[in-house]
Amino acid sequence: MEDKSLSHPRIGVFVCHCGINIGAYVKVPDVVEYAKQLPNVVHAERNLFTCSEEGISAIKKGIKEHNLNRVVVASCTPRTHEPLFRAACEEAGLNKYLFEFVNIRDQCSWVHMREPEKATEKASDLIRMGVAKARLLQPLEEIEMKVAPAALVIGGGVVGMEAALNLANQGFDVHLVEKESELGGLLRSVNKLFPANQEAVKLVKPLAEKVKKHLKIKTHLSSKVKQVTGFIGSFNVTLDGKGKDNEFTVGTIVVAVGAEPLRPTGQYSYGKMPNVITQLELEERMKKGEAAGQNVVMINCVGARIPERTYCSRICCMTAIKNAFLIKESNPKAKVWILHRDLMTYGVDFENYYRKAMELGVRFIRYSLERLPEVIGNGKVEKVRVYHELLRREIELACDTLVLTTPLVPAADNQDISKVLKVSLDEFGFLLEAHLKLRPVEFAMDGIYICGSARWPTDVTEGISQAYAAASKAAGPLRMGFVKAEAINAFVNEDECSGCGVCEVLCPYQAIEIQSRGEKRVSHINEAVCKGCGTCGAACPSGAISMHHFTDEQILAQVEALFS
Amino acid sequence: MSKSENGRKAVLVIGGGIAGIQASLDLANMGFKVYLVEKSPSIGGRMAQLDKTFPTNDCAMCILAPKMIEANSHHNIELLTCSEVEKVSGEIGKFKVKIRRKASFVDWEKCTGCGLCVEGCPVIVPNEFDQGIGSRKAIYLYFAQAVPKKCVIDKREDRPCKAACMDACPAHTNVPGYIKLIAEGQYKAAYKLIRETNPFPASVGRVCYAPCQEACNRGQMDEPLCIRDLKRVPGDQWNIEELEVPVVAKTGKKVAIVGAGPAGLSAANDLALKGHSVTVFEALPEPGGMLRVGIPEYRLPRKVLGQEIGYIQKLGVEIKTGVRVGKDVAPAKLKKDYDAIFVGIGAHGGMKLGVEGEDISGVMEGIEFLRDVSLGRKVNVGKKVAVIGGGNTAIDCARTAKRLGAKEVTIVYRRSRAEMPASKEEVTAAEHEGIKIELLTTPTRFFGESKKLVRMECVRMKLGEPDASGRPRPIPVKGSEFAIAVDTVIAALGQVSETDFVKELGVSLSKRGTVEVDVKTGATNVEGVFAGGDVVTGPAFVIDAVAEGKKAARSIHQYLMGQPIGDEEPGKEPDKLSEEEVEEVKARVPARNKVEMREEPVDERTEDFREVALGYSPEEATEEAMRCLAGCIEGCIQCHECERRCEPKAIVYDMKDETITLDVGAIVVASGLGLYDVSSLTEYGYGRIQNVITAMEFERLTAASGPTMGVLRRASDGRIPENIAFIQCVGSRDFRNKNYCSSVCCMHATKEAMLAFEHHPGTKSAIFYMDMRAVGKRFQEYIARAKKEYNVTYIRGRPGRIEVNPENGNLVIWYEETVSGEVKCFETELVVLAQAMVPQITKELARILGIELDEDGFVKVRDKLVQPLDTTRPGIFACGYVHSPRDIPDSVTQASGAAGRAAEAITGGK
Repeated sequence: MEDKSLSHPRIGVFVCHCGINIGAYVKVPDVVEYAKQLPNVVHAERNLFTCSEEGISAIKKGIKEHNLNRVVVASCTPRTHEPLFRAACEEAGLNKYLFEFVNIRDQCSWVHMREPEKATEKASDLIRMGVAKARLLQPLEEIEMKVAPAALVIGGGVVGMEAALNLANQGFDVHLVEKESELGGLLRSVNKLFPANQEAVKLVKPLAEKVKKHLKIKTHLSSKVKQVTGFIGSFNVTLDGKGKDNEFTVGTIVVAVGAEPLRPTGQYSYGKMPNVITQLELEERMKKGEAAGQNVVMINCVGARIPERTYCSRICCMTAIKNAFLIKESNPKAKVWILHRDLMTYGVDFENYYRKAMELGVRFIRYSLERLPEVIGNGKVEKVRVYHELLRREIELACDTLVLTTPLVPAADNQDISKVLKVSLDEFGFLLEAHLKLRPVEFAMDGIYICGSARWPTDVTEGISQAYAAASKAAGPLRMGFVKAEAINAFVNEDECSGCGVCEVLCPYQAIEIQSRGEKRVSHINEAVCKGCGTCGAACPSGAISMHHFTDEQILAQVEALFS
Repeated sequence: MSKSENGRKAVLVIGGGIAGIQASLDLANMGFKVYLVEKSPSIGGRMAQLDKTFPTNDCAMCILAPKMIEANSHHNIELLTCSEVEKVSGEIGKFKVKIRRKASFVDWEKCTGCGLCVEGCPVIVPNEFDQGIGSRKAIYLYFAQAVPKKCVIDKREDRPCKAACMDACPAHTNVPGYIKLIAEGQYKAAYKLIRETNPFPASVGRVCYAPCQEACNRGQMDEPLCIRDLKRVPGDQWNIEELEVPVVAKTGKKVAIVGAGPAGLSAANDLALKGHSVTVFEALPEPGGMLRVGIPEYRLPRKVLGQEIGYIQKLGVEIKTGVRVGKDVAPAKLKKDYDAIFVGIGAHGGMKLGVEGEDISGVMEGIEFLRDVSLGRKVNVGKKVAVIGGGNTAIDCARTAKRLGAKEVTIVYRRSRAEMPASKEEVTAAEHEGIKIELLTTPTRFFGESKKLVRMECVRMKLGEPDASGRPRPIPVKGSEFAIAVDTVIAALGQVSETDFVKELGVSLSKRGTVEVDVKTGATNVEGVFAGGDVVTGPAFVIDAVAEGKKAARSIHQYLMGQPIGDEEPGKEPDKLSEEEVEEVKARVPARNKVEMREEPVDERTEDFREVALGYSPEEATEEAMRCLAGCIEGCIQCHECERRCEPKAIVYDMKDETITLDVGAIVVASGLGLYDVSSLTEYGYGRIQNVITAMEFERLTAASGPTMGVLRRASDGRIPENIAFIQCVGSRDFRNKNYCSSVCCMHATKEAMLAFEHHPGTKSAIFYMDMRAVGKRFQEYIARAKKEYNVTYIRGRPGRIEVNPENGNLVIWYEETVSGEVKCFETELVVLAQAMVPQITKELARILGIELDEDGFVKVRDKLVQPLDTTRPGIFACGYVHSPRDIPDSVTQASGAAGRAAEAITGGK
C-alpha cells in the first residue's frame, strides 16, 4: 500500500487572503515567502479567495505543475471548506487525505485584529505546524461495504407492519419478526381509536392481511430474535427457532417492539375491589359490547408523574377522554367523570376532541398529587371522594365503575433487544435514540432504527409516522447498495496491546471486541463500525491504539514544529 | 430552462427549515435527486432563530448547522433559496413544477459571503430574522451562519432620481448613502461613508462649491437638496475624535508627499490605509494648504480642520511642517529615501495686476493677505478697502478686511455680476455684511502720498465678444475714468504654483507652469513621481484636489505593489430627469422646500472670525435629508456602495427573477410555522406596552448572535430583568383566536425561563398556564429541574389584564389563581407571551399544489389514522408544523416519514 513516491514529500502551500478578511491583518505575501523556505515545500502561492473557481483551479494546477503529493491550504475553517479543498485534490489525482487544513482566519486574523504583526507571526507558526503534519500524511481509503438488500423489522404491531410495508413496497425483502402468534400487537386489545373513533380491528386486520400477502415480506410469528452479529450492510440474524428459515442476513434493522400498559399494584383498591379496572380492561369490555356502568369515574396519571415514575406517558389523557366519550355516546344518561392532573390534549385534534367530550357532558375535575382522590366503599367502590378546586371543597362522586388510567411502560423485550443488538436503554428503560432532538428514530449504531412506543409512548398516528421515518432511514443504505466506512478510524498495535478491555467498554459504537491471538488477548477494532471518535485511543493505558490521520507521530511533529 | 435529470427519481421539498432539511437529507441518502425550495435567502427556518432547544438545552445552531452544511454539500441536493413554487401540474410520479427564483442581485457564484458590502451599506431596515428587534442593511446576510452563505440585496423599487449628485462630484462621494444615514441620525456611519471618498467631510461640508447640488435631480422638481449643508452635519452632531483607527498591516514601502494641502493629505490618507509609511513635507508652519491659509476662519473653523488632519496623523502619517522641499530638503534626497513621491504643492503664488503704482504700500496681493491673516501674522488694513477680482478669494479678502476693522469695503470686478466666479451664496453673504460691489470696473493706476496709498483710478468696462475662457471680453470705455479714495487695495486675481523644486526632480511642466501628468493616473514623466491638485490643474476647488490626491494614491499603491497602474473607471456625466420623469416624481413625492441653515446675525459676526453658518440641528438635518429622492424609497437606494466594496465583483443590480421548471416524482411540503399576531389580544398590551414581548422575540434577545449579543434587556430602560412572567396560551386554546393547542409553548417557556436564569443567575420566573403539557421524553423531568434549580414557579391561572407601574415601568399582572380561586396581582419586570403558532402555508400555495387545508389552515391529510403524512393529492406529502402543531423531534420524525412515503410513492408503492 505504501506509495514510494510519497516518502519524498512535495508540499504545496496555498495561503488565502479571503479578500481582506485575512489579508488586511495577516501579511499574506510574507507568510507565503515564509512557507516557501519550509522543508519539503516546493510551491507556495497566495489567492484572493482560495475557495473561488480561480483558487480551486490554482490548487489543481499547482498539484500538476509542481508534482505535489501533499497540499496545505491556510484559510478559513475546515468545518465549511475542507470538503471543497479535499475534492480539489481528488480531482487532481491526489488522495484527499493528503490534504491538510490550517485555519488562519478564525485563529489569526479574527482574534488578533488589533495586533497584525502577531497575527502574521502566528499564521506562519500554524503553517509550519501544518506542513510538519502534511509531511507525514498517508493516503487513506474509505472502505466500501456491500449492503444486503433486505431488512429486519422486529415487532409485528401496527408500527412494525407499516415499517415493513413501506420497505417492501420499495422493493426490499423484509423479515418481520413477531413474538406472538398473531400480528397486531397491543391494538388487538383496543376497542376504538381516537380521534375518529374508528374500530382498531378495522385498522389492524387489513394491515395484517396486506403484510401476509406481500411477496416481499417474510413474517416470522411466535419468534424472537436470538442473536445478531455483524454491522450495517450485513447483519447476521438468528431467530430462536431452528431451521434454515431462522437464519438470514439483512442490511438494516428496524425495532418496533412497542410498550405495555402498567398494571396497577393495589392503587385505588385495584385487585381488591372488583369494579376497579384499567382503561385497557375497559376497552376489552366495551369491545365485547358490555356496558361500562351508569356512574363511571376515571382517575388519570395512576402510576405516572409520581416520584417513582416521573414521566408522562403522552397518550393516556386521550385514552381516558376517548373512552369517556364512547360511554357518553352510547349511553347519554351515564355520568362520566375524569379526575386528572394536567390534561395533555396537545395539538389540534386532541384539543377539539376534548372540547367535544365536554359538550357531550363528560365532567373534568382536576386533582393534585397533594390531595389524591379517595375510594369509598365496602367490598366494592361506591363513591370516590375528591377535592373540587372550583367549589373549594371535597365532593363525593357516585361510582359503579372506577377506571384507572395507567401509563405505558417499557416492554420486557427492551432488555433483550438491548442485549441482542447492543443498543442502549434510557433511564426509564425505553430504548435510547442517537439524539433526542435531531436523530429520534436512529440508534447511535449505524444501520439500526427505532420507532413506536419502544422508544417513547406514542399514539397510533405518531407511531405510523415514525414507522415511515425509520423505514426511510433503513431504506437509504439498501437503496444505495453500499455504505462507506469512515477512513479516519482507530487501529491497534497488537504487540503493545495488553488486552485489558478498557477500549471495549468505552467505545460508544460497539466497534471494539477483545479477541484471542493464541495465548494473548488483544483488542480488535471493526473498521466498518468505527467512527474515529478517538475515545479508545485516548483511554488506552498501553498507548496501543492510534487514529489514522491523527497518529502520534503526526501530532508530535506538529508540536515539535511549534516549539522549533 | 427545464431540469429533467433523473426525472422520476427527483423529489421537490418545499421549506428549508429543519423538517425540509431532514426530508431532503433522507431522500438524498436514498439516492434521489432533491430540489429544496426555500423562500428566504437561507435554509435553517425557525430553528435557526432559536437560542437553545428543550429539553437538552443544546444550542440550536450548533446542532442545526451541521445539517444545513450537509444539505448544502450533498451531491444529491440542489438548494433553491429565494425561491417559490409558482405552478404544479402533472401527477404522482410525473409532476412538473415551475419555480420562481427571485433575484438576489448578487452573483452567488462569485459572492464569498465576506460581508464587506454589508458594512458599507447605508440603508438600515428592521431585521426580520431578529423578529424586527435589531436591524440589518439593505444588502445583507440572512444571518451569521446562513447557508448558502451569500449576500442578497433587498431591492424593492427603483430609485426615482438618477443620483446625478454622485456623478457630478469630482470625488464621486456616495451622496444618497450618507444623506440616508443622516436622515436616520446615523452620524458616525455617515461620516465614515463620506470619508471613504473624502477625508475632510466636515471641512468640505463647509466650503465646497457643491457641484452635486447643482446636478441634484430634486432641483428639477422644487429645490435641490442642500447637500453641502447636510454633509457637515455628521461632524457637527458627532465627535470626530471618536473615530476609531483601523489596524493595518504595514507594507514597508515609504512615500514622500510634498504639500499638506487637500490633495497631499488625501493621498497620504489613502496610502496610510494601504499600509505604506507616509511622510508629508509642508513649507508653511501649519498643515492644511488652502484649507488652512486660503479659506478664512469664519467659513472653516481651525478646530474642525485640525480634527480632520489630526485623524490622518493618527493613521500614522508624519507631517513635517516648516520644511520647504528644494530649500530645506534636497529633491534628490527624497528620491533616494522614498519609494514614491507625490507632488501636491498647490498654487500659493499671487498674481500681479500689472498696473502703475502697484508697489505703493497699501497695495497687497490677496492670497498672501489671507495667508498672513490665517497664520496670525501682522497685517495692516486701513479704513477704506478695495478688493480687485470677482472670485471666491476676492470675497474672502473683502469679508476678512471687514472683520479686521475696515469701515468701507468695495469689490471691484471688471465684468458683470453674471460672470463673477464666486459662489452666489458667498456674494450674497458679503453684501449682507455691507460690502459694496463695483461691477464693470477695473483699476488703471494707484496714487500714493508719503509712500502711502490714497487713491485708485479706475475705468468703466463694457462687455464684448467672448474670449478664450468663453466669457465676454471686458473692454474699457474710453473717457469713463474715475477715482476712488482708498487706503488699502487687495488684488485677488488668481494663483500660480511655485514649481522650482519640481523641475529639479526632472518633471516636465506645461506652458502654464503646471506639472504635466497622465490625467488618468497622476503619473509624471519621472518614474515614481506623481502629482495632483492645483499644481496640475491650476487653481481649482478643494473637492477637486481631494479627488486628484486619491487618484494619485491609487496609482502610487499599484506602482508600489508592482501592479499595473490602471485607469480609474471613467465617471459618467450627471443625468437629468426627462420631463415625464419629473412629472412622475412630482406625483410620487410631495413638494417641499429646503430647510434654510441659520446664520450668526450680521452685526455680530463681522466683529470677529466666528463661524457664520450655524449648521443644522438634528431635526432640521433629518427634515432636509428626507427630501433626498433616492432616500425616500424602501429598501436598497441603489447607491452602489456595495458594488464599490465587493472585491469579487458579485453585485448585479439589474438581475431579474428567473423561472425554472423541474420534473419531480413527489413533493414534500414542509413550510413550517408562522407566528400569530397577538396584538389583537389587547388585555396583554403587546405592541402597546414596551416590556411585553413575544417568546420568539425573547429567543432572539438571548441568542448570542442576536441583536443584543445575548444580553436580555427590557426595552423601556435597558435594565436586565430579574423577575420575568411568562403567559401561556396567548391566542391558543382560545375560542376568540385559535382553538387548538400550539403544542410547544409549555416547554418553550420553561426553556426560556431557564435561559433567563443562565444568562443572569438568580432571575426568578413565573409561568402562568392552564395545563402544563410536557409529554415528550424527559419533559416532566425538565420541568422538575426548572422548579428546583432555576427559580421557576408555575402558576395555574389565566391573567386577565396587564397594567404598567408608571414609577418603574414594571408590569402588574391581574389574574385569578385557579387553585385558590382568588384574584391576585403580581408585579414583574418583563412579560413574555407564548404567542400561538400557525401553519405557514398560504391558500394560494395550497391552490397551486392542489392540496386542501383544514379550517385552521393546516394541511389536510387523507386519513388521519392510517395515512397521516399523505395530503389530499396523491404524491404530495406534508410534515412538520404545517402538518400539525409539533416540536422539533416530532417534526424531524415526520420529515423522515414523509421522505419514506415519497420514496415509496415514486418507486411504485402506494
